[in-house]
Amino acid sequence: MARQPIRPGGRRGRIWPGSLRRRLVVAFVLVATVSAGALAVASYLLVREARLDGSLTASAAEAREDLNLAATITYQAAGDFVRAYEQRGTHAVLIFPGGRKVTSDDQVNPPIPAVLQGFVRRGQLGYQRMDVAGLPYLVMAGKVPGSNAQLYLFFPEQSIQRNLAQLRNTLAAAWLGVLLVAALVGRVLARRTLGPVARASEAARQIAAGRLDTRLPAGAADEFGAWAAAFNEMADALEAKIAALSAAQARELRFTANVAHELRTPLTALVAEASLLSGQVSHLPDPARRPVELVIADVRRLRTLVDELMEISRLDAGSEPVLQRLVDVQAVVAALISARGWQDRVTVDGGPLTLTTDPRRVERILANLVGNAVEHSGRDVVVRTGSDGANGCIDVADAGPGIPPEHLPHVFERFYKADSARAGAGSGLGLAIALENARLLGGTISVSSDVERGSVFRLTLPLGPGGDVSER
Amino acid sequence: MDERLLLVEDDASIREIVAIGLKAAGFRVATAVDGREGLARFRADGFDAVILDVMLPSLDGYEVCREIRKFSRVPIVMLTARTDLIDVVVGLESGADDYVKKPFELPELVARLRAVLRRAAAPAGAEPIVAGQLEIDPAGFAVRKDGIELALTATEFRLLLELARRPGQVFTRELLLQRVWDYEYLGDTHLVDVAIGRLRAKVEDDPSHPAVIKTIRGVGYRLDRA
Repeated sequence: MARQPIRPGGRRGRIWPGSLRRRLVVAFVLVATVSAGALAVASYLLVREARLDGSLTASAAEAREDLNLAATITYQAAGDFVRAYEQRGTHAVLIFPGGRKVTSDDQVNPPIPAVLQGFVRRGQLGYQRMDVAGLPYLVMAGKVPGSNAQLYLFFPEQSIQRNLAQLRNTLAAAWLGVLLVAALVGRVLARRTLGPVARASEAARQIAAGRLDTRLPAGAADEFGAWAAAFNEMADALEAKIAALSAAQARELRFTANVAHELRTPLTALVAEASLLSGQVSHLPDPARRPVELVIADVRRLRTLVDELMEISRLDAGSEPVLQRLVDVQAVVAALISARGWQDRVTVDGGPLTLTTDPRRVERILANLVGNAVEHSGRDVVVRTGSDGANGCIDVADAGPGIPPEHLPHVFERFYKADSARAGAGSGLGLAIALENARLLGGTISVSSDVERGSVFRLTLPLGPGGDVSER
Repeated sequence: MDERLLLVEDDASIREIVAIGLKAAGFRVATAVDGREGLARFRADGFDAVILDVMLPSLDGYEVCREIRKFSRVPIVMLTARTDLIDVVVGLESGADDYVKKPFELPELVARLRAVLRRAAAPAGAEPIVAGQLEIDPAGFAVRKDGIELALTATEFRLLLELARRPGQVFTRELLLQRVWDYEYLGDTHLVDVAIGRLRAKVEDDPSHPAVIKTIRGVGYRLDRA
């Protein structure tokens, strides 16, 4: 009976918005910082190597020269010789054969590494890096030519270490900077890159909401441009298809309206002719009487059909005006019963019911429902008025044969007839018209049926402002 | 009886059978096949009532109605095949007193005709009524506003008279339909609304802010004495 409303798609499958964007940013930052970090570490190591090598080369050249100088120095002059080094910040230690040791700075008295001493004894120029009193030194050592004395020179390397530390700090700061810039650039890039995705989702939602003319900005030369073009093609196709379908539907509705309309002129003549004939039936000769009676009945049937076709095509066109009046439902029912002479077939039950609605439409609906009940049941039709607080309910119950369950969902369909053997009865549009009218008034009609006991059609209408169940 | 009717209808079958039916009901009937001929015949002979099809060649029913209204308050019933509300309203606004939807049973048309003719007949023996600036003279079928006579159609006159007989009372549209148009049960209340609109255009100082005929929302209309 009632069409299922189309529900918008659920939110189950929805991707958390921005998670892709965040992942893109994280990946971008990772790549940028790892490569920047590797670069910084590598360049630091290279610079350190170069600086230390340079220091070593310079120190070795100086040591060689100093060794030659030391060859002329006697034990007695050694004190002055080594002390001269202190002016350059270099400690010097001369060890004469027999272990006599002359030191440039007795307070510091730098220790002589044993490994280096072994080197020197074998006559080689050796070096070692070590800390003396907490400061870094490059120790160069060699045998003084022409004697067994050994010269140990402690070249300070604080400046190199300081420079290297500075470099380290600078590189670390630069790396941090890269990280920040990468995060920023990554965000912007990700937003730019994923912008089309967000726009496409929005466009798809718009289309789903019925705005079929929604399109994506096309023209970008990248993959998103191609995607947007494909999306727009899809939207074009969808729009064209739906336009064609609505045009076809509109044509069909117009055709029905036109057919009904064109039938009106000859039907008007027919109705008037039948109307005149019906006053003459008794004067007709016997063989003509029955055919004339049939003609009159069929003209009436045709008239009902055309009227109802017109009515339903007007309802389909959706241009029907709706009045808002205070309507005493029981009075409407009583009037339609007496107008149709159904007093001995239909009884009214329930309390007074006043609605604010369109009286003619209510009358139309109830006439159809009651007429339908009378047609199927013959008598014992009960119209019962009531309310559930917000809505007025009017039940039309018959004691007819009832509607089999397989037919029940279809009784409001146009031209649907549960009992095809009794095709002569109504036009097949009465219940469809009643339901369309009920919907127009913001209400509905439901039906329940018991094959043994008959059917109940329930019209539910909003009470409306001023509507009341107790009194008028 | 013996009223003279003019039937303007372009479809030959309808014209012929309706004429036969109306004659059988006791009217004298003249026919015209289009709007121009109808208007010419009415100008030439004058009739007691006019039955006017809406869809007519040369000059449509609304036009004919408007032309006739320029010089006559003869009762006019429209035959409308179009049941769109707007067509009905246009017909009534052009001055028709009532309308019958095609297709119709002949007795229905006859009943509508009798009703409009009854309205056009002067109400018997009623005293003049004064309501504010308006002076309504039922016997003379005349309404004067500040002494100047207003040109009301028979329906407008009956409507005003009905309201003026009980000033201050609210009339539902349904009651007015019964009393003025002789509808037995739910007719088209647009008849009432359109006629009230036309009546206001003639009797109110400012029809968009009516002071004489008030609308009571959701119920109906009321005539205020002052």
